[in-house]
Amino acid sequence: MNGTVIILKKELKRVFGDKKLVFSLFILPAIIMVALYGIMGFMMGKMSDDIEEHRNSVYVVNATEGFKNIISATGYDKNNDVIYLSEEEYRAAAKLDDDLAKKEDAIKTEEDFLNYQVKNNMVQLVVYFEKDFSKKYDSYTKSGDQIPSINLYYNPTENYSTNTYGVFTASIMNTYQSSLLKNRLEKEKIDMESLNVFNVVETTVAKEAKEKGKFISMMLPYMMVIMLFAGAMSVGVDAIAGEKERGTLASMLLSPVNRGQIVGGKIISLMILSGLSAIVYVVSMMVAMPVMKALGGESADMAQGLGNLELSLVQGLQLVAIMLTLVFLFVALIAFLAVRAKDVKTASTYISPVYIVVMVAGMLTMFMSGDKVPTYRYAIPVYGSAVAVKDLCVNELTAVNFLASLSGALILAVIFTVLITKSFNDERVMFNA
Amino acid sequence: MIQINELTKIYKLTAKKMQELKTKENTKIAVNNISLVAKPGEIYGLLGTNGAGKTTTLRCVATLLKPTKGQISVCGYDTVKDGQKVRDSIAFLTNEIKLDPNFSADYMFKFFGRLHGMSEEQIVARREELFNVFGINDFKNKKIEELSTGMKQKAAIAVSLVHDPEVVIFDEPTSGLDIVTARNVTDYLKFLRDQGKTVIVSTHIMSEAEKLSDRIGVIINGNKVAEGTLSEIISQNEAEDLEDAFFRLYSKHNPEGK
Repeated sequence: MNGTVIILKKELKRVFGDKKLVFSLFILPAIIMVALYGIMGFMMGKMSDDIEEHRNSVYVVNATEGFKNIISATGYDKNNDVIYLSEEEYRAAAKLDDDLAKKEDAIKTEEDFLNYQVKNNMVQLVVYFEKDFSKKYDSYTKSGDQIPSINLYYNPTENYSTNTYGVFTASIMNTYQSSLLKNRLEKEKIDMESLNVFNVVETTVAKEAKEKGKFISMMLPYMMVIMLFAGAMSVGVDAIAGEKERGTLASMLLSPVNRGQIVGGKIISLMILSGLSAIVYVVSMMVAMPVMKALGGESADMAQGLGNLELSLVQGLQLVAIMLTLVFLFVALIAFLAVRAKDVKTASTYISPVYIVVMVAGMLTMFMSGDKVPTYRYAIPVYGSAVAVKDLCVNELTAVNFLASLSGALILAVIFTVLITKSFNDERVMFNA
Repeated sequence: MIQINELTKIYKLTAKKMQELKTKENTKIAVNNISLVAKPGEIYGLLGTNGAGKTTTLRCVATLLKPTKGQISVCGYDTVKDGQKVRDSIAFLTNEIKLDPNFSADYMFKFFGRLHGMSEEQIVARREELFNVFGINDFKNKKIEELSTGMKQKAAIAVSLVHDPEVVIFDEPTSGLDIVTARNVTDYLKFLRDQGKTVIVSTHIMSEAEKLSDRIGVIINGNKVAEGTLSEIISQNEAEDLEDAFFRLYSKHNPEGK
């Protein structure tokens, strides 16, 4: 039997013959991922429901009748406590709280009092109509006249307050502003419609595949790169540096098998194991996302985008080919660093900065503009593969660019494999001689 | 047959190693111009203190290290040019080279048998023989990591001999073993010698060298300073026994007590 096959079988048996290792390498990450995303979804859903269901308190000082009517018409006051205060009532409320004023040095004015209440989430929003709001509105006749103002006090660091502010401005303030504007224009006998000079008609012209795959094309290359690298790292370091440290690699070097065959057996087994590890991650994520969506509802919308990848058979094969070359490259790279290290600890130290570089290469594709990427860039290992996967998601990967991405990663992987074989023959590397 | 001609092995020292050894030299001569012949049907004992150069010499013979100067042949094969053939002709055992702790002795035996190109039938037959000799059958299916030091050593010896090699190179084979297991190992080495195999054993234990070796080579500071049968070495040094002879040689060749 060929030495490569014998070593390959032994390496696979080492992992699959050990239930604990199988659990920690393949089952535990899947459980953690599903559980993690599930908890995230649950928490997001809970938070969103809580915000929506929370009965907010809104103080409206010096509210006009028109404003009160709009609040009543929208039904906002049914689910929230809208408290109308006159200027006097409001001032009295501020003065009544003398104890508070003594404790809080900063509270000197009525405005400070409002701020204090909003800041401490006692009130989610304060709407303060300037004194003589209606008078100023009515007396406006020409440009340059005084415009009345409405002050809104809310706390952007508090979810309830932010949400109240958002809903209030979108549904009530805008409506109120439009109604006042309409009244003013009617007085001037101007039709509100005449302010609308033109209509903007928007039609999206993106290819369906591109539109559907836009989100996934942003996420998948990055996720694929880091997951494949993490998979290779989880099995590669121990299989090479660990064996070297324990003295078990040397026993193999004493066999009559060609060192190239030993490297071949190691690399192929690591490719299989890290490939499986990556598949576990991808499947876990595919399971985890619907779980997240189910538990999180609309608030976990980001999960929806990941389910939008539709690939033809050829595209599927292209994706597999890109992933295989990446796995080969990562395994060879990690094995090379592991073989140059004297023990597992040193190997991890060597690999950590490389992991960061690989992450950055994957991340670069996340925020790429729509400019066409020149073919030579597809040949840049890791980055080129990530760009190719991005193109694949939106149905824009050309055959030339696909081949360039494969070649770049493959050439570097082969170089590392040759270097590993050389290292296996180097007594200084293998035996610290 | 092992033939070592003028073997010299020089290590390049890293800055860290130079600091450790408190030396300004960036090289260290581990083995200096050693020549020796170990013949079939003989046990050749390499005697020396720790760091004398015994293990380096044996590693060069086992093709793990390349000689800086000189030449070594094993069963007629050059260790540099015909490394794979040399490795197929030898059993090499040293404390620093271990069996994978995640596997059983049985699996390791089969694994190395396959790497030596043996058929499954040959492996099974050989396993019967060696596992009986070393009493491995009782724990053959246990993982190596679960075995005691003695059991591990027995398993390692059996695995190293899987392919019935012509040359057996054991570096400190009884180190860390209890007296019964150690006796078992030395008896088997004598058995191999009687089978016509070439056996070379390194040791720093005088009694072991005395009882086991047909010829002894004494290495001090990388130099072979004496060679001969036990009685020849004792008489050449006008000593009472091997230990006395060794100390006389050690004082003569290492006056500063390095």
